[in-house]
This record gives sequence, structure tokens and C-alpha cells, in this order.
Amino acid sequence: MIEALNLRKEFVLTKQQRKELNTTDKLAIAVNDVSFTCQPGRVFSLLGPNGAGKTTTLRMLSTIFKPTSGSIKIVGVDAIAHPQEARKKMGFLTGSTGLYARLTPNEVLKYFADLYEIPKAEFEQRKEELYTLLDMHDFQGKRIGKLSTGMKQKVSICRTMIHDPEVVIFDEPTSGLDVITAENIIELIRSCREQGKTVIFSSHIMSEVDLLCDDLAIIHKGEMLFNGTMASFKQEMQAENLTAEFIRIVNATQNETT
Amino acid sequence: MIFTIFKKELKDTLRDRRTLIMMLVIPTLVFPIILNVFVGVSSSFSEEAAKKKVKIGYVGAPDNYISQKLNELPEEMGKREIIFYSDTATLFKDLRSESIQIGMFMPDDFNRRMTRKEPAPVTVFFNATDMGMKDRAEIYLEEIQRQAKENRYIEMDLKESELRPIEVEYQNIASGKEMIGKLAGGILPYIFIAFGFLGCMYPAIDLFTGEKERGTIETLLTTPVRRWQILFGKMGVVVLSGLLASTCALLGLFLSIEVFDLVKDPELLNIIHEILSPTFILMMYGLLFPLTVFFAGTMIPIAVYAKSFKEAQSIITPLNIVMVLPAMVGFFPGIELDAVTAAIPVVNIVLATKELIAGTLDFSLLLISFGVMIALAVLAVTVSYKRFDKETNVIM
Repeated sequence: MIEALNLRKEFVLTKQQRKELNTTDKLAIAVNDVSFTCQPGRVFSLLGPNGAGKTTTLRMLSTIFKPTSGSIKIVGVDAIAHPQEARKKMGFLTGSTGLYARLTPNEVLKYFADLYEIPKAEFEQRKEELYTLLDMHDFQGKRIGKLSTGMKQKVSICRTMIHDPEVVIFDEPTSGLDVITAENIIELIRSCREQGKTVIFSSHIMSEVDLLCDDLAIIHKGEMLFNGTMASFKQEMQAENLTAEFIRIVNATQNETT
Repeated sequence: MIFTIFKKELKDTLRDRRTLIMMLVIPTLVFPIILNVFVGVSSSFSEEAAKKKVKIGYVGAPDNYISQKLNELPEEMGKREIIFYSDTATLFKDLRSESIQIGMFMPDDFNRRMTRKEPAPVTVFFNATDMGMKDRAEIYLEEIQRQAKENRYIEMDLKESELRPIEVEYQNIASGKEMIGKLAGGILPYIFIAFGFLGCMYPAIDLFTGEKERGTIETLLTTPVRRWQILFGKMGVVVLSGLLASTCALLGLFLSIEVFDLVKDPELLNIIHEILSPTFILMMYGLLFPLTVFFAGTMIPIAVYAKSFKEAQSIITPLNIVMVLPAMVGFFPGIELDAVTAAIPVVNIVLATKELIAGTLDFSLLLISFGVMIALAVLAVTVSYKRFDKETNVIM
């Protein structure tokens, strides 16, 4: 379970950034007073246009960023006070994640297993399961730099799941992937839900959201615009389809602020 | 955890061809190449200069003393051709066009002055860009002068030794080791420092900026490893790479002497053997270690801050000049390790190594140098930690 309460993240703008953004403000508020709960066995989707604050929110959940204020609990662990403990319980995958090109899938998995302090026998068993599931035996010893995008994505999935996390965070996991490669991720998300894991993923692709999510939140300019179940979202929908409704909500806020 | 990161980063680094070339190949080859080129060029230059037939033009009476003697000198002193010129204008023209290499002017009454035992002047013209020609002229004229003096002593019934009331003998009390240490000892630490820096540079950029650029750092930060552990694991590899590059330079020196046999002079060889003792090597590593940590500590904040490999390289390369240039101080024979120079980073290491080679190192100055470098290394590591801990620096 993930419990995020009143999350706020400010960034101090450098002179250069102020110039680029054409502002005199010394602070940029990336996320403002965002609260939500992700339940085990359900897929929570964080929706928003580019620059909405999705990645910043997920980075706070994954403890890469420390919130300016607010609280986060990952499976009951206070992620701000005990980030190391919280990290043990989560897996993190982004669409832009790179892999160590000079290492082999076996070496990458061993490295991460060591970082998560997984006992050797458990690691070998888990690795075998994942290799069989994703059909990875043929390229386990090849350098990652020589693998195709699809193969690399499979290695990324293994790396994320090697410690069998209770919570899985996906930040735009399918961005830049072709339909076939993206399918691996979709399958992974489904499988996580079936195993009772807590899943949160960010996206701006409505078809993907429709396919997978049970609960969703829409954020724009760091503010929460909607937070509820997919069923309630569909019920309250004023536009004819999900994409149109998403655009309508975002535009409505845009018009309010201007 | 630090060791897990260190092990992985080392494996990753050793598989990078660019780093391997900078860290292992170039440092190993530098000494054999420098020594080979130096020995080859200097021997071929002196051989060629000795073999070269020198054309000496002169203006003066055709039967004058100097031209006759020049012809009589043995051929072992170098082949030569003596050409008579009737005027200096043509002589200068040919000298400028390098048709002749040396020009001489003797007045018409040269032989008469010689007979009368009056000073007889010779003017030598040469082109300073034509290397070695002035030396040739000096050798010939000194020999002619010596023969003329000898004849005159006989004519005047004098003993040469009686004309030399004081016999002066100069004796050098410095050992060969000391001479090499003080005069040429700066080259050794300079090369170790230069390669130590270069050895650190590529891994520092690759392990910090590269990890950021390739998007792998984000995943690493979501593992239950503390940031300082990641920093120390990576820094360990950067420092080791710097030390490995220095070691390869030392290996190259060893190969040049022991395998390729590039140092021929047995006396010099003995001195080098005496210098490269295990104690010296151990002490030098003791000095190089904090220096390499300092190098790594100054490069890492830059590599953490930079957004691309290119940006990091463009900042660190000029830093190379700032850091390694002071090491050149060691080339100047007058500058020695004292309380002031011991407090100047990099300079202190070079001068201490020089003293170490010469065997004249003052222990208290060594401690100051070591203390200063340790303090700077700690400071650099602290700055690295602060930078690496700043979330906006680590994530793109």
C-alpha cells in the first residue's frame, strides 16, 4: 500500500532557469498538496500532461526526491524517515531507464540482487523464474549493449522484480517503446495486480490507462484535479470518450487559471 | 555495500576501451617511446653531424696558415672541403644559401703576424640555425691553436707546465643519485601526476556523468543503498584508476630499462636501480594516494554537476592544466621543498618525490606535505559528497 498525504515539492530556481522560464520567482512548485492512496491488488494510474508533476510525485514516492512537506508511507514504512527500509519494498521502472551496456543481464541482476541483499539461493530461484517467464535464457550472457530494445526491456523488468517488491512504481514505462515491446510491460502490470502487489504508474496515454487501471488521479501543474476509481471517473464523464474527458478537465483548469 | 558497488564499477570500467587506453596502454607506452625517441634522435643526430662533410669557405691569402692547417687535420675529425673566396660578399651569399657551412676571414698579413708572434685574428661566420657547425669550427680552431702553441713553446724553449702556476681541480661531492634527483627528479613525479590525473578523468566522467546520461542512476538511487555508499564505491574505482595509470607509467619505465634496454650508460643504470628501490616506490605511493584522492574529489563534483560527457570533459580538461602545471615546478633545479612549498598542493608532492629520489628528504617536511594533501583530499571528498547528495545534481 502507498499512502501519500499533502505532498509538496519546491525547487529553487537558478538564475539560468529563471531566465529560461521567464520568471522572477525564486521557487518553482512542482507538486502542491497532493494526496492519494494506492491499494494492494489494484493498479493506480497517475495521469497528466507533460510537466504536470507526475515524475516528481513518483520520484518522491521512490525516495529519490525528498518532499518539501507532506508524508509518504510505503507498506506502512515512513519513506521520509526510513528511505532505505521503504526502498526494500519497492521496485521502480521508468521508460527512460538505461541499463549498463557493458554488463550482461546475469551481471546486472546479480548486482541488483546484492544491493537488495537477496540470499544466493533465493536469487537463483527468482532469476530462473523470471528468465522462464520472459524467455530470456538465450541472451542472459550477452552484453546488454548488443541486445535489441525488446530484450533490454525484459532485462529492465527482471531488474525491477528481482527482489519481489510489494510495491511497483512505473514512470511512463511504455514511452518510446513499440507496441510489441510495450506489451511486455502491460503484461507485467497485470501480473503484479494478480499477485496482489500495489502498482502505481504514470502515463498520458488514455488507452493504456483504460486497459489497466482500477483507480486514477489526474494532476496538472502540480495540483490534483481528480482522484477516484476508474468506474466513478467513467460515470462522471461529460465528454464522449476518455481522452476527450481528460483534455476537457485539463483545459477547464487552464481556463480557470487564465 | 560499498564493495559491491566498487566491484561492479571496476568491471564496467575495465570493459570500456577508451578508459583502458587512457588508464593502461598510454601510460605503459610513454616511457619506452620517450626514451626510444630520445636515444634514437640524439645518437643519430651526433652520428650524422660527425659524418657530414663540411664546406669551409675562407677569405685571406691563398697560402695562409689556417687554411693549410685545416687541410692537414686528420680525417677522423670530420670530412671537410676548404674553398677559397676572393671577397666576403660571395662568401656571405654562399653561407646564407647553405652552399658552405662555415666562413672564415683572415687578414692578408695573417702569416706575417704569426711569424712576428703578434696576435693573428680569425673571424668565423656561421649560421646558428645550421646546428653543430659552430662547434665544428671551434674544434678545428682549438686544435690548430694547440698545435701552434706547442710549436711556439719549442721555439721559445719553454715548458708548458711552467706557464701554469696554479693547478685547479674541481671535485663534485654530490652522488650520482643526488644529481639525478635534484636535476632530473622532477620528471618522474610529473609523469606520475599527469597520468594519475588522466587515469582518474575518464572513469570519473563515465561513472558519474555517464551514469546520469545513460539514465541508470535513477534506478540505483531506488535501491536500499545510501548515497554516500554509492559515492564511495564509485570514488574507489576513480582513485584506483588514477593509481593504476601511474603504476603503468612506472611499469613502462621498468620495461624500458630492464626489457628494452634503452638506457646504455652503466653508471646511469646503476643510479636508476638504486633510486627505484622498494622503499622509494612504497613512499611514492604514500604520497600519490592522497593526491589521487584529491584529484578524484575535484573531478567528481564536476562530473556530478555536468549533464553530458562532453560538458564534463570540457570543464575537466582545463582543470588538468591548473592541476598538472604546478607539477612542472619540479623541472627547475633551484626550487626545493621547504615550509612554504610543502604547503602548496601538487608542488609539495613533486618536490618531496624529488628529495626522495635524491635521498635528502626531511621527514618533518614530508609530514607537512602529506598532512596538506590529506586535508585537501578530505575537503574534496566532502565537496563531492555534498554535490552527490544534492538531488537536482544527480537527476537530469
